[in-house]
Formats: sequence, structure tokens, C-alpha cells
Amino acid sequence: MKPLHILIALFTITITTPALAGQTITVGVNGMVCDFCARALEKVFAKQDAVESISVNLDEKTVLVNVKDAETISDEDVTKLINDSGYDVRSITRTEEDSDEPAL
Amino acid sequence: MKRLICLGIGLLVYAIPVETYARPVSYPGGWTVSQTNNGEANTLLLHYSPTARYSLGYKFEYWRDGDFTVNALQMNNLLKRWNNEESQANLYLKSGIGIAHGDHETSPAAYTGLATDWEDRRFFASYENRYTEAGDVDDFFTQSARVGVAPYIGNYGDIHTWLMLEVSHAPENDEKITITPLVRFFKGVQLLEAGMTNHGEVLLNAIYRF
Repeated sequence: MKPLHILIALFTITITTPALAGQTITVGVNGMVCDFCARALEKVFAKQDAVESISVNLDEKTVLVNVKDAETISDEDVTKLINDSGYDVRSITRTEEDSDEPAL
Repeated sequence: MKRLICLGIGLLVYAIPVETYARPVSYPGGWTVSQTNNGEANTLLLHYSPTARYSLGYKFEYWRDGDFTVNALQMNNLLKRWNNEESQANLYLKSGIGIAHGDHETSPAAYTGLATDWEDRRFFASYENRYTEAGDVDDFFTQSARVGVAPYIGNYGDIHTWLMLEVSHAPENDEKITITPLVRFFKGVQLLEAGMTNHGEVLLNAIYRF
């Protein structure tokens, strides 16, 4: 195969492969009633290498954990982190964030 | 006997869902500094929480009625937490050991007490008691209860406001019952409380977590 063909093939693969974005985990948390609770969960999750960012919603009593690309956190680990922070898990929902946009 | 009666009353009242002044245990690896000033005492507490179950710290207290100070190592244990979707309740044991300094005496000192609280985002209630033994310097029992209501409900990061009423009982003080209406402002990791007792004394408390 000529070098030009290889370049064209690589370009084609690149523009048709979805980007591997991180996963979003929505955790329903019991006992989360104040800013101290929210701060505690932020601090504990922020120490995890796999965590890109975290957002706490006191109205919904949920914690939104954005996981870094190619990383993962198991339900067991999420539950342990919440319990270690002093709270209980009500639910865990995962959303894959694979993008249809080409990675350029 | 008098002390036992007071302790009994305290434990009885304790069965009613009521609070601690503010959560005495933080998240794992969290530090807390708190300062309280009221009609009874001025205190400063710095504590560290290795886990969410207990904290260790240093506490300084100046007790106005007895005119003495206490320097102590304090340990707070979360005995039980009830996490519900809309509310949280806690039971703590708070104990300290140190040295008391009076006008002419210095004595080993120790104190212990139970604290409990219940809160959702609208209402708050708490109760705590404490027995202090400081040898020749002083020994006494105190207890206090609070109720509170939030006039509006804010989300994380907003300024939260609470209107509260505290009733404290110090059987050995000249003023045995003190009633303090106060307002609590709470934002992120900072908490500030200000009030005025029925004896005309100012209450000013602050907490910062890091």
C-alpha cells in the first residue's frame, strides 16, 4: 500500500470513529441535607483519580459524577465512597457519553 | 444526687429528637475550626476527622460564671446516623480530657456528653448535654436544646438562613435557664450564628471547614 493510501485510510478511520468520552454516574444519596454534606461528598470524590468532576444537587438529593475517559468506577466503589462519607446510596444510574461527533 | 437528677432529666429529654450545635464530625480527612461565644462560655475547637465516624481535636474554654479555663483534647464519636431521603439524624458522644485553671487552682478536668440532632432542609431540632468534672476548680452539668426553621430553601452554594431558638439549662449557674433567639447563616463550608439571650448577652458562633 502506498503511503498516500495509508494516510487516507487513517483519516477515514479517524473521522468515522466516535470519541470515547467519560461516563456520567447519577447517585441518589440519602441524608444529604446541607452544604456540609455536599462539601463532604465533593472532597471525597475529588480524591479519586477516575473522577473528572462532581456536581451535587441538594434539591434532587443527587450527586453527578463525571468519570474520566477510559476510566471507570464500579457501583461497589461508588457505594463505599458514599458510605465512607457518612451517607447512604439510594440509587445509581449510569449514562454513557459516547459522542457521535467525530474525533478530529 | 442533684447531679444524677439533672443527668436523668437530660437523658429523658434526650429521647425527644433534638440537636447538636453543629456536626462535630467532618468528612474523612476534613478539618474544622469552630468558635462559640455565649452567656456561659467562650470556646475554640480545632478538630480533624480521620473518618466520618469520629474526630479528634484541641479545645479551649473559658467559663464565665466559674471564671476558669479548660484546655482539653476532645474526641467526638458519631454513635449512630439515620440517613433518610429528606432528612438526617445523628447521635454523638463528645468527650474531653485536659486541665482546668481557676483563680487559685489547677486541676485535671474531664467532660462527656451526648448530643443528638435531626434536620431536613426546612426544620431543625437538637439537644445536647454535658457533665464536666474539674476537681477543685468546678464541676457542673449543662444541657441545651434548639429548634429552627429555614424561611426559604436554597441549593448548594446559596446562603442558607435559619431562624432558631435555643434554650439552655445550667442548674448551678445564677441564671439557670437561658433563652436565645438567633439567626444562622450557612454558605458552603462557613457557618455564622448571631443572637441575644434573654439576659442581654450576645451569642456569636462561627464554624469553618477545610
